[in-house]
Amino acid sequence: MEDLIKELKLSIIEALNLEGMTPDDIDDNAPLFGDEGLGLDSIDVLELLILLEKNYGIRLASPKEGQKVFQSIAVIAQYVTENRTK
Amino acid sequence: MRIIRSIDIPSGSSLACLYREHKIEYPKFFKMDTLCKLGFLATELLLEGDSDRFVPREDRAVLMFSRNGCLANDINYEKTMGDYPSPSLFVYTLPNIITGEIAIRNKYKGETSAFLLEEYDEERIRSIVEEAFQDTVTTSAIVGWIDCRSESDWTCKAFLVEK
Repeated sequence: MEDLIKELKLSIIEALNLEGMTPDDIDDNAPLFGDEGLGLDSIDVLELLILLEKNYGIRLASPKEGQKVFQSIAVIAQYVTENRTK
Repeated sequence: MRIIRSIDIPSGSSLACLYREHKIEYPKFFKMDTLCKLGFLATELLLEGDSDRFVPREDRAVLMFSRNGCLANDINYEKTMGDYPSPSLFVYTLPNIITGEIAIRNKYKGETSAFLLEEYDEERIRSIVEEAFQDTVTTSAIVGWIDCRSESDWTCKAFLVEK
């Protein structure tokens, strides 16, 4: 799980152009959206959807499911572990 | 009309270094395309130290001029179209986003316009800026000739101008 978390952080930094950030700057359990944590926005959600499909073969059924999955890096990692097809 | 301050960001400068050197805190900067980064940084440097920064105002316009607009980002976006088109690149495929980014950052609610010119034309730019001052609201403007040819090749001149 630790390797997957690091891999996810690196992919997210690259996909969302979080230039200047390193995996250590991202707390596993911090919220990804809103003023705390990474402060991601709706465009970032689309990038994350693409990232999951491209890297792990996961296609989320609805934006509502995305809200649940994209709570934090730890939650994404858990979801990927349980649902990945590649 | 008079120029109060001006700034020039040399082509090829490290924009991330400039951002850090000036201790700017605006994480969205890193998501911008190069054109918007240039407009954002030029404005930050122009207004650095101003006591009334971030007070919402309607009397300051943002008028940006360039030749290539957002073409450099368009090319990057096109490269992603064969696979998964990138939403974060797509949002910068309009040449006037630069004015929006500056207005949002500085809480400007006045006129914002982006113009594409065949080449740098001081007379024409001056005439357009003077026209913007003809309304009853605008008393100053951030004006820029920001022409981004690639992520490392640009001309970036910006001015704070008063009526």
